[in-house]
Amino acid sequence: MMMKKMNITTITNTSTIMNNTLIRAVMGSLLCGGFLHFSFAQEFIQDLGNSTVVAEQSSETVLNGLREDEILKDEKIDRKISTTIAETIRNEPDIAIRSMGPAAARPVIKGLSGSHVTLTEDGSFCGDMSATSPDHAVASEVLTAHKLSITRGPQILAQSFATAGGVIQVSHQDIPFEITTVRASSSHNPNNTQIHGYIADYAETGQLGFATVLGANGNIHGLSLKGELSARNMGDMKTPNGTLKNTDIKNKSIAVGAAYSFERFKFGASFRTFNSDYGIPGGFIGGHPNGVDIELSKRDFTLQGLYIPAARPDTLNVIFRYNQYHHKEFETKKYVGAEFAVNQANLRVENFIANSGPFFGIRLGTELDSRSIEMGGYVFTPPTHSYAASLFSIASLNGWDGLEITLSARLGGAFFRPRESVVADKDAIEDRNFALWAFAVEFSQIVAPGKFLTLDVFRTTRAPTIEELYNQGPHLAAYTYERGYHKLDAESGYGAELEFRDYGEHFNWRASTHITWFLNHLAPRATGDTNWSQLLPIYQVSGDDALLMGTSTSIETSAEQGFYAQAGASYVCGFYQNENWSDMPQIPPFHFHAEMAYIWQHVRAGINTEFALAQNRLDRYEQRTPGYITFGALLEFHWALTLANYSIVLRGDNLFNADVRNHLSRLKSVMPEKGRNVSILVKAEI
Amino acid sequence: MKIKHLSLAALCAFYIACGDSNSTSTDQHEHFEAEGWNLYWPDWKLAYSVYQGKEDKSLEKLRVNANCLSEHLTVKFLDDEKKEVSAPKDDEHSLGWSVGDESILDIEACGSWGFHLKGVKEGETTLTLKVKHHDHADARTPQIRVIVDKALKAEDCPFQDDDEENEHHHDHEHEHDHE
Repeated sequence: MMMKKMNITTITNTSTIMNNTLIRAVMGSLLCGGFLHFSFAQEFIQDLGNSTVVAEQSSETVLNGLREDEILKDEKIDRKISTTIAETIRNEPDIAIRSMGPAAARPVIKGLSGSHVTLTEDGSFCGDMSATSPDHAVASEVLTAHKLSITRGPQILAQSFATAGGVIQVSHQDIPFEITTVRASSSHNPNNTQIHGYIADYAETGQLGFATVLGANGNIHGLSLKGELSARNMGDMKTPNGTLKNTDIKNKSIAVGAAYSFERFKFGASFRTFNSDYGIPGGFIGGHPNGVDIELSKRDFTLQGLYIPAARPDTLNVIFRYNQYHHKEFETKKYVGAEFAVNQANLRVENFIANSGPFFGIRLGTELDSRSIEMGGYVFTPPTHSYAASLFSIASLNGWDGLEITLSARLGGAFFRPRESVVADKDAIEDRNFALWAFAVEFSQIVAPGKFLTLDVFRTTRAPTIEELYNQGPHLAAYTYERGYHKLDAESGYGAELEFRDYGEHFNWRASTHITWFLNHLAPRATGDTNWSQLLPIYQVSGDDALLMGTSTSIETSAEQGFYAQAGASYVCGFYQNENWSDMPQIPPFHFHAEMAYIWQHVRAGINTEFALAQNRLDRYEQRTPGYITFGALLEFHWALTLANYSIVLRGDNLFNADVRNHLSRLKSVMPEKGRNVSILVKAEI
Repeated sequence: MKIKHLSLAALCAFYIACGDSNSTSTDQHEHFEAEGWNLYWPDWKLAYSVYQGKEDKSLEKLRVNANCLSEHLTVKFLDDEKKEVSAPKDDEHSLGWSVGDESILDIEACGSWGFHLKGVKEGETTLTLKVKHHDHADARTPQIRVIVDKALKAEDCPFQDDDEENEHHHDHEHEHDHE
């Protein structure tokens, strides 16, 4: 990992090139190195431990290297795997879940949801409609994810304008470039054949059923291939108050990919389908008595090309993705209540330059996007074409005394072209164009051995969504009557985040606090009115000035074996600028989780707890949510045997069957979240 | 050569992956909106009224005897100014309903926008009326409480099936007068 990050190469020649970057790296790492216990630091020290080290220039900040260790992968992701991506990352700092049943769950970052949180798959957009409505599921099977990472800081601008939120990156590795790299480096025989297979099964009692994934990567005559199948079939969710009907989930996915290396070029293509049938429960005011069944399908075709020059680790990366997404909502078995068809194409070109002048880790890129959406059935948004174009750049440089500065900016536009429709007022069918710009500057200073102080200052923005602009009607699955406004302006805001990290001999801990002043924060807010035809509460999208601030902290022991403890807490609050500084809606309450475990070489056993305080800070017409506390336990085994790695993770969540209400769930007034739940993950990699 | 084959394979994959058109199979339609509902007995006496979610409590509850049909009820709608408007006249809209407990109450459709309550057994349940449009409801009432009184012999029921003809007559008159 370190080799990739710092480009340090060990050679027999004693000549050593020491430049400013190496001095920075050596200073930073020696200052903190003796106390670092993340693999980042360990590998770095090992590299420095070699008597002869040639360091090419660094291509990444120390802070980004540390952030990479927070990526959920390997045993970390196995330990946390759950029904959805949101559930899997729920205990990460600043994360909450917006949900409407177990399938329709989407991550919330620092109290921001919807299009403030971007989801990507293998570096390109995740083509679904999960950002637009709480009943829309994220169209990605979590069991097929090799890595899950939360992008923070200036790097967000490589994917999104919404620096106040974040980016959740899902890595499926559908284009098997890694295999071609391994082949190229491990063998001079181009006909060498390598096979890597994996199978994982997940089952739980909270929603009886199973999820399974079966995949294989192979390298045949220099061509790397990947094939993967997954299926999930889980029944209704069991809560402490009984079974919540119509919460079953059936997912299927198929992925194939190929990659080929030709001199300094790498080419790859992949195709992934994802189908999901899931239920949204009923029984709410205005909702269908038996709930709504949703069928969605997604097809992604991706082409990727890489050019890697000989002398430097620079990379030109071109990704083209064509996505088709189809979504149907059924009020009865027979008829379609709502339908969406989305066709989206996205071209992304990114040039990574390791060093240029005083800068390092430079990312320059452009993104072009075309999206067409059609609606059918009982949907009140006109069909719309939208286009987006943007340029982004991120670069780091060294300041004085170990200071690293990262500058990033994104500039672009979003263009909406609605078509006339019987469901929309003619006056509301108006073309809209938005010029967007955002920036972020990050100052990261090593203040003492192993101690980092980081300040981010940023401007955030986002264009309104099609629904926020043009929707005028009921959304039965969400139990709301939603009103957009075609005159909305883009959302923007200015913010800052201060973070302190301490990598000590026995503990590593971090604490951060953030604040964002939103100008025209766009959110659907309950108006208190009712659409009397449908008897649905009316939500109106409005833009208001708002102040959002919060804090999070986490601490963990640094031992890799023996006693281990970890704890984390997040809190966020938001206020609209008005006479009373009234509270913003859908803000998660204070959340705390902790784990204690004992780690042997192949076994880990532990107990954990999670609690949330009651949410009494409410927007108009929002309901209070009581707090809860849950307890859980974990037992996991990992071992290697004859070219294969095996893992078994047995987890018990909410063992005392507590009544858990999620403030960000539309179902909270009717039923609690999942009750006592015992899950097992069995995984083998060959 | 290998690159040519790969390019060809990628193109084929693209065609297979994305060759199908991805468009909606259902159309969007204009929808009927109502702020309130009035139900009338054949003598034009108001049987039930709700406007913007508020029921007219001065009216008696809807009742029918088990084993009997009620008199004909005609449906009218209220707009946002509380003016009575006629039911949609196209073929796409129709009257629909759901009954809380079908072992107590049933509904018998009568004409486009009329119906009879049909008592099944003694008890109390709810009735939700809807304006069905294709497969969904454009408008719906709150849950209307309906009381089913004790069972009567068919010949003792206050309303007899053979009154249907008269009732249709009323319905037409009613329609005419409120246009």
